Amino acid sequence: MIQVKNLSFSYTKQPFISDMSFSVSSGEIFGFLGPSGAGKSTLQKVLIGMLTTYQCSAIVNGVECKERTKNFYENIGVDFEFSTMYEKLTAKENLQFFSSLYEKKPRPIGELLEKVGLEHDADKRVSDYSKGMKARLNFIKALLHDPLLLCLDEPTSGLDPANSRMMKDMILEEKARGKTILLTTHNMQDAAELCDRVAFIVGGKICALDSPHNLIMSKGAATVTYTWMENEEHKASCPLNCLSADEQLKKLIAENRLQSIHSSEPTLNDIFMDITGRTLL
Amino acid sequence: MKVIRLSFLGMLAYLRRDMMLFAACLAPILVGFLFRFVIPLFEDVLTDWFHLPTIISPYYGLIDILFAMLSPAMFCFVSAMVTLEENDEKTAKYLFITPLTKLGYFVSRFGIPSIFALLVTVVLLPVFKLSPLSFSYIVLLAAGGTLQGIVIALLILTLSSNKLEGMAVTKLSTLIMFGAAIPFFIKDNAQYVLFPLPSFWIGKAVFESSPLYMFLAVLLLSIWILFLMKNFCKKNRGVY
Repeated sequence: MIQVKNLSFSYTKQPFISDMSFSVSSGEIFGFLGPSGAGKSTLQKVLIGMLTTYQCSAIVNGVECKERTKNFYENIGVDFEFSTMYEKLTAKENLQFFSSLYEKKPRPIGELLEKVGLEHDADKRVSDYSKGMKARLNFIKALLHDPLLLCLDEPTSGLDPANSRMMKDMILEEKARGKTILLTTHNMQDAAELCDRVAFIVGGKICALDSPHNLIMSKGAATVTYTWMENEEHKASCPLNCLSADEQLKKLIAENRLQSIHSSEPTLNDIFMDITGRTLL
Repeated sequence: MKVIRLSFLGMLAYLRRDMMLFAACLAPILVGFLFRFVIPLFEDVLTDWFHLPTIISPYYGLIDILFAMLSPAMFCFVSAMVTLEENDEKTAKYLFITPLTKLGYFVSRFGIPSIFALLVTVVLLPVFKLSPLSFSYIVLLAAGGTLQGIVIALLILTLSSNKLEGMAVTKLSTLIMFGAAIPFFIKDNAQYVLFPLPSFWIGKAVFESSPLYMFLAVLLLSIWILFLMKNFCKKNRGVY
């Protein structure tokens, strides 16, 4: 679906994206993770044909992005982080207008509104919507023309936990329908939960690229931490894969003297910090 | 072409929700009635009152020029306002990544309204004109007025970054229309001080009944448009 080879882009004389290469298969959820200003949004702009003055190659759906024609957009749906709706029009009017711009038969508007819980607000002006409602409406706008590629920029930003869950379920549903999804985020939980693979982007470069599971495993096994009383509380840790060799732990278990025991797996944020020396948050 | 037409129709639907812009679209008809029926009546009253043969009628040509510029100025002002609002609401950015594309967007926002303004002027000017203008003159005036409307729209888009600023810039940019009055009031060479204003040459073409000045006006308008387009693209790199 996407092949990027040695991609470089610059707004000024300084390179902003340099020598990026990766590919994304059809039906995959691919995440771009990185702090603000890392180049995630710029990369997304290149891939959706908004920035065409890049060097080398970025091919989406068989089309070199800088040579895109209007048909290129028949199969791309974009959900920007900000609202891109006409505030004076109702939700329904907005969706009807945007869907009319595509050759493809649109997905049923009522059904999409119902999926995101906006069916009773369809005739309300967008200016009267809350931030979360606008985010949900923005998301279904990207689905209207049933595109093959979905580019989602912080799709759960500004949503309460229930709506965030609903949004994530819908993203997984779209994947199940065969869509390729590019997810730009700095929410590591979302990335770990949704993405098949993630790319860590810092300073316009890809620092690591793998599945969240492999990246987490690359740091080593989880750690087990336990505590016990011996005049005062004591605490010790050992890697999960060396547990059977921990004589202290074996003895405490045999004597039933453990006060607490828990394992802690590294998160994507830990891996990100390890690799880049920076935090995602 | 279908998608451009739909985008234009979408803009018209949007105008129904903005009474100020909707009223601006109707202004040429209202003003046309005022020019055609109230001004001659006013002239009759004034000439009777002051016992003079003419007072306003020597300037009927100027009134016709202003009317020829009105529809394009209004339509292009409305388009510029909608574009600024679409920039504020980020809908323009979204439309660029639909099959409409950036080029289609600007054609639907400025190309079609300009052609529409040209046609409206060609239809309304013969109905509401006060001076004896030939059809070819009417077409030339409509063409000049349309190009001037594009200049006004580009001035608004280049000098303002949101709808509020756009309103303020509109007041200033429409002043360029009044260069047309200069040949009617300043008879000596001092009038040439305003030669960079295309409307000055349009005024001169009507005042001296010389269509050659119209071609000069069109040439100047084209230079203005090229210059403003360059600045608009430079200023809005990454915005539009």
